[in-house]
Amino acid sequence: MRKWRLPAALRTLIAIKPKQKLTAQYLLSLLIAVTLAFLVGAGIMLLCGYDPLICYAALFKGALGKPRAIGNTLAKTATLCLTGLAMSVAAKSGIFNVGGEGQLYFGGIAAAVVGARMAGAPDWIIIGCALLAALLAGGAYAWVPGILKVKLKVDEVVTTILLNSAAIYFCAYLANGPLKTTERGISSGTDSVAASFSPLIKLSNLNGSVFVAIIATLLIWYLMTRSTTGFEMKITGTNRRFADYGGIRADRLMMVGMVLSGMLCGLVGMIEVFGIHKRFITNLSNEYYFDGMLVAMIMRYQPMGVILMSFFFAVLNIGGSAMELSAGISSEVILIVQSVIIFFMAAQGGIRQSLHAYTVKRRVRRAHAREVRT
Amino acid sequence: MADSSPIVRFDHVSVRYPGALANDDVSLAIRRGEAFALVGENGAGKTTLMNVLYGLTRPTLGTVTIKGEAISARHDPMRAMAMGVGMVHQHFKLVPSFTVAQNIALGSEPVKNLVFYDHKKINSEVLALGKRFGLPVNPDDIVDDLSVGLQQRVEILKALHRGADILVLDEPTAVLSPGESDELFEVLRGIVLKQGMTVILITHKLHEVMQFSDRVGVMKQGRLEGIVNTAETDEHKLAAMMVGREVLFDELRTGRPTDREVLQLKDLRAQDDRGLPAVKGIDLTVHAGEIVGVCGVEGNGQTELTECIMGMRPQTGGEVYLSGQNISRLSPRQIRARGVSYIPADRMRTGLSAEATVMENLLVGKQRQKEFSRFGIQFRKRRANAYARELSEVFDIRAGGIDIPMKSLSGGNMQKAVIAREFSFDTPVLIINQPTRGVDIGAIEFIHEKILQKRAAGCAILLVSADLDELFRLSDRLVTLFEGQLTGQFQNGAIGKQEISYYMTGGRQEVQA
Repeated sequence: MRKWRLPAALRTLIAIKPKQKLTAQYLLSLLIAVTLAFLVGAGIMLLCGYDPLICYAALFKGALGKPRAIGNTLAKTATLCLTGLAMSVAAKSGIFNVGGEGQLYFGGIAAAVVGARMAGAPDWIIIGCALLAALLAGGAYAWVPGILKVKLKVDEVVTTILLNSAAIYFCAYLANGPLKTTERGISSGTDSVAASFSPLIKLSNLNGSVFVAIIATLLIWYLMTRSTTGFEMKITGTNRRFADYGGIRADRLMMVGMVLSGMLCGLVGMIEVFGIHKRFITNLSNEYYFDGMLVAMIMRYQPMGVILMSFFFAVLNIGGSAMELSAGISSEVILIVQSVIIFFMAAQGGIRQSLHAYTVKRRVRRAHAREVRT
Repeated sequence: MADSSPIVRFDHVSVRYPGALANDDVSLAIRRGEAFALVGENGAGKTTLMNVLYGLTRPTLGTVTIKGEAISARHDPMRAMAMGVGMVHQHFKLVPSFTVAQNIALGSEPVKNLVFYDHKKINSEVLALGKRFGLPVNPDDIVDDLSVGLQQRVEILKALHRGADILVLDEPTAVLSPGESDELFEVLRGIVLKQGMTVILITHKLHEVMQFSDRVGVMKQGRLEGIVNTAETDEHKLAAMMVGREVLFDELRTGRPTDREVLQLKDLRAQDDRGLPAVKGIDLTVHAGEIVGVCGVEGNGQTELTECIMGMRPQTGGEVYLSGQNISRLSPRQIRARGVSYIPADRMRTGLSAEATVMENLLVGKQRQKEFSRFGIQFRKRRANAYARELSEVFDIRAGGIDIPMKSLSGGNMQKAVIAREFSFDTPVLIINQPTRGVDIGAIEFIHEKILQKRAAGCAILLVSADLDELFRLSDRLVTLFEGQLTGQFQNGAIGKQEISYYMTGGRQEVQA
């Protein structure tokens, strides 16, 4: 019987020397994950009676085909990236922030109030003040579960989840009650803000806020991977007791991680208000934070990975909606395909491990065979 | 006793883990009804080999035969148990809230009227089993309330209850006091001699090998160095086989302690994790250039004492002075800054971060120093790497790179990393708790050397250990700790090991010199 062998290209990839091995295997596993995902997705489309080639073409065209589509994809990338990093910076410091949604709403409403009340001031001052207000509001709302965790050992997962609803409904109350706009045609929202980010690509969601997002992303990336504080955060996140023992102020670092996480979420809220809706509306976020959490967890809280994966998710998201319109697939099928793809991305770690086990086994066999010969 | 047909046979077994060959072409036959000891340094592959037998690890190459039957490709603990293999792990796998009988029955519960757990039947079975093997237990005791020695007994009974006739014990005495160990070996000898069972002991304590085994297999770096009859060898020869060179332990080196008082404890008090008093008023002084050894059976307040000096456990009374300066009730960070370093007993939970890299673990505590932090903001990774490489070299940490996670190192190398980091602070005071637990002979020698160097440099050292040999070898002065109180103080050499154990167990209370 002829033995099944890996294609030559894959074999060379596996056989790369130790130092390069990690990245090479990583890329290979990612490649396998994506291929499998798209194959299974294609199978589902075939079962439902659609032509996968047309569908996938529609997906990519819908996400990257026109300037407008690219704009939407990049705007989505920014949102996912900020929320994903928010999750990562907290998780890496050993505290699990599930309350980003609430922090996002508080950031949004704080920015909206500042933006509406400051009418008459120069645009950049309004935007600057709204930014500060959003960061403060988001950070403050994360500080509460943080301090409960650090001082009283109250589980932060429970408190942050509960505080989500509190924030969302409190903001809804404000937008329907005390802060309700008098403008016509707006059912539940605050007054419109006096300044906004200008769009960068016509008719798309991409606007000036993307620069703010890029700066924030770079800062968090630097903090997590290059700074002394990031080093201390990592130690705290991997073993809090060890950090305390080693003279690191673990409590303080967990608070820093949590508050930064809240600030990033507040920033996302502000960007939604000043970039898209021009006011606070009650359904400001469509669970954006949970999408970000997913990205962060798949990439194991590595900042660079989160940035790249955000783009991939944005393509799926934006392209998926376009696919529904242009290829006529029902949105349920698209959701299934998206879930399958996400599933395989998450399984990528496992794929890498089995690849590794395979190489090891092969190497031992070969070494053994050599010994037997001699 | 031992008849010559092999009950377990390893044929050219190799096990490869990522980055390491844990077993390298091991061929070994264990005879029916013998007491076999497997010795080797930490990371030599003893546990891996036995895990293959028990179905926890699959061999990359080679075959294993149990009672003439080759193990299948899907060998797992369930199948291993069915073939008569029982294994008692270093870390017990018991349900703490269950009774002894429930733990023993778990997985093979006797059933009454089709549905009910047969309380009476299992209790009588456990009693009978205990009697037969000389391991008496009370079936209705809750496991959580038992001493470690008794918990181990439950583990052994559990394996026997499943019908094991090949019993594997992985470093069973690591958690036992010397008396309990002797008792255990007596029982194990009985099982081998009277019941005709096969017992395989994994250990790195050579006196246990001599005490217990018929034959001994020595492992080194994944290979089986050789098999010898215990009667034809001695500890020195075995040590040489294990390490590959002669190890000299008996040489006693005394220091020249000054009379400068560096660390002073005054009526120090602390509680254990359950809130019960564990340190009950300790007065002790350590001088510069002196090693004070704390002897005691584990669980008499040693860990609480060291943690409370270091600020990791609240003091409920008393004071700690460092060269006359009161350092009571400060945080570990502040205490470190004033000049105390600490090697904790539990390296995995306190002394290291298993997920962080070797470099990160070695650098903790220095990350804010100018050398490793530009303006206190940017982490200078290149310098940190260079520093970690240098330190690994000095302390002979064999890691295969400083950028790999700590958890992939062997126990001995992890401990060397903790010691490397703590010793590199050059503090006037060192608190050391169990420096060589679970560490192989070669590394023990090295660690002792380093501790003596510290003493020569004028360090005041408080050394806690459950290993009396270690304390007698290193200490200038010995104190005994029993139930949170000091029960004796002796100059090293003024008292023998036999005698000091009276003080360790509260038999006598007096103060000498």
